[in-house]
Amino acid sequence: MKYKCAIVAGAMLAMASGPLSAAEYVMSASADYSGPFADVMPNAMSGINAIADWWNAEVGKDLGVTVQVKIYDMRYDASVIARTWPAILSSDKPILHLGFGSPDLVTLMKRLPNDKVPMLIGTAMVGLVWAPDGWHYSIRPTYSHEFAGLMSDLQEKKGGKLKIGAVSTQKSAGFVDQVKGVQKLAEMYPDRFEVLEVQWVEASPVSVTNNIRAMLDGQPDVILVGGTTAQVIATAQALEELGADVPIISSTHNGLSEVAKGIDLAKMEGSFSAFSFAPPARDGLPIRDVYEKHKKDGNWGLITAQSAAQALLALRVLEHAVKTVGADNVTGEAMRAALLDRVYTEEELLGALPSVDFDTTAPFPIGEIKATAEVVEGGKIVPYGEGWMPVPPLEKW
Amino acid sequence: MLPTGVHFETYAGEARILKTRRATVWLGLLILGLVILPQAVGPYTVGVFTHMFITLMAVYGLYVTVGLGGQINIAQSAFVGVGAFATAKLSGYGLPFWAVIPMAALITGAVSVIFALPAAKVKGFYLALTTLAAQVMFPIVIFALPMDWLGGLVGMAVEPVRLGPITLGSPVHFYYFTLVLVGLLTVAAFNLPRTRFGRSLMAVRDNDVVAEVMGVPVFRTKVMAFFAGSLFAGVAGACTAYFLQFVTVESFTLFASVWYLGMLIVGGAASPVGAILGVVFITAVQEGLHSAATVMLQSGAAGGGMLFALTSIVLGGCILVALIFEPRGLAHRWSVIRTAFQLWPFPRN
Repeated sequence: MKYKCAIVAGAMLAMASGPLSAAEYVMSASADYSGPFADVMPNAMSGINAIADWWNAEVGKDLGVTVQVKIYDMRYDASVIARTWPAILSSDKPILHLGFGSPDLVTLMKRLPNDKVPMLIGTAMVGLVWAPDGWHYSIRPTYSHEFAGLMSDLQEKKGGKLKIGAVSTQKSAGFVDQVKGVQKLAEMYPDRFEVLEVQWVEASPVSVTNNIRAMLDGQPDVILVGGTTAQVIATAQALEELGADVPIISSTHNGLSEVAKGIDLAKMEGSFSAFSFAPPARDGLPIRDVYEKHKKDGNWGLITAQSAAQALLALRVLEHAVKTVGADNVTGEAMRAALLDRVYTEEELLGALPSVDFDTTAPFPIGEIKATAEVVEGGKIVPYGEGWMPVPPLEKW
Repeated sequence: MLPTGVHFETYAGEARILKTRRATVWLGLLILGLVILPQAVGPYTVGVFTHMFITLMAVYGLYVTVGLGGQINIAQSAFVGVGAFATAKLSGYGLPFWAVIPMAALITGAVSVIFALPAAKVKGFYLALTTLAAQVMFPIVIFALPMDWLGGLVGMAVEPVRLGPITLGSPVHFYYFTLVLVGLLTVAAFNLPRTRFGRSLMAVRDNDVVAEVMGVPVFRTKVMAFFAGSLFAGVAGACTAYFLQFVTVESFTLFASVWYLGMLIVGGAASPVGAILGVVFITAVQEGLHSAATVMLQSGAAGGGMLFALTSIVLGGCILVALIFEPRGLAHRWSVIRTAFQLWPFPRN
């Protein structure tokens, strides 16, 4: 009798405590604590960790799934990634890799199809790797798409043709690619956009005053500086020296919050950072509330918003994979299939991203791509406009 | 210097690199240790050793050009890049690795000759500047060439090494592949100073005027110093391409060239042992510091940004300390310690 009672009690206890053991999956993540992005990395990883903690507590618990995010310092170095990735594969068996930047792209994109692990990066994509049937995806379209979204909005407000000057460097393939994408935009929409000229300068120029003086002859409406923070600062200083007032368009890695560390934002009045995840200061942003509630360290900002969006999309994909193949059967292949299977809406992404749709034709969201921006107003960085800006369709360049 | 009590009665015995049975045993143990290493450690450590072998190949090349030949070269990374791109292109034609690697080495050597030509006229800092030109020109040329030649801005994918039906794609397979290659290059590096060409290099390094008077063709020897050093770089480049399975110019920077030179200086430029010790020392310090920082980071003891900035400072400090206390390189310290053991029980000077 005693034994029967013990068995019944044990069974009741097991039932009362829910699933006996949650399926545990690993998502690996690339960080850069000792390379060019070391300064912002604590906040970036804080965004991923906070969203993973929230998901485990609020969503994964009900699904019987736990996700462990394992962060590896890849040092933004292809050789480190090349020797770390096999170790990650054998020890962690990740169902998805949260990548960071071009070293992850170039090192892993050819391996991932064999390894059957999809990669989702938070940084914008480059046209250089715009190829079909990859296992590497970005939550953001290419830099050029993001610039095109803002430029399209500015052109509509201006009316007539938007004249674009560009400052970049030929030292980095990705930066050259940004300019080529914008040149493609002007080629596709000649009535709306014109690229006046491109000034190729050093990655860390001392002065670009002569270059900007030459560019100003064409009276540009905006100057695109998608390369380095030093180039943005040099361009702003050149404009000040020349007494010109032309807005600068930058991206996130060299954006307004980075530039603000180097010069007074008053010199950047009216300038933009273009990207395609929600501006961190957007009113009523649900993902910000989730982050603030679950963060263990770090501060909310541009890089945090980007990495939180990256982690959230990955976890929503996992939810869909669990619904499709079951909590115990999620693999890298199931994750990729789930990513490609349906549209992930802005609502379920807690406003962090616009609705995104992926397919096998491109390594970034397809369909109606949207972008957004920040602008300097009154010496402060504020969201530009209230919502998303549609990106005009761009052909591969 | 020979160990106490060891002498030779034949020329063959005198000419051997490994002069004693004890040295042979030590080398055997080292090789055995390297062979069984992948069974004892994880794939990350295997990857670290693989990368270390590839780095060692490049630094051996610098030892030949700088250490033996006395010619300054701060473009070794660009030459490694030439080897890597040559490998990517040649392997794209379906050529097997045993054909690709020698061809990549020869192509790299040929390219290096262009930048060695000024060595006839200039030396020291001036020569350094001409090699710097190679480093600066390397990415520009790759970008400027049509994209279907060398990948241009995009770079080129490289298929893993295939040995018949077997693909050496796993970390352990590739470890053994690079171990064999670095073993061959080690034999070459140790033998080179004993050859006629090696002695010519040293003569030119020590005094090129006297060398010329002695009948050494100085210009040809200087050019050959670059060519020979770049053969090593070409093999390192080929291995890099097979290791990364993708080549872009961003992997072959001036920064990497400076590190290669730094490893040789820390280890000691006068012998191949210096190349080995320099590579091992820098890699061990880098990886050790990084591992410690990662553990502290994961335990929450410190924040990432500050922690890894500190590791860079500590790494720089280690290099400074090594050079302050052993300006002739770690190889000299190694030599002093070895001599003390070999002369035992007699005191050394």
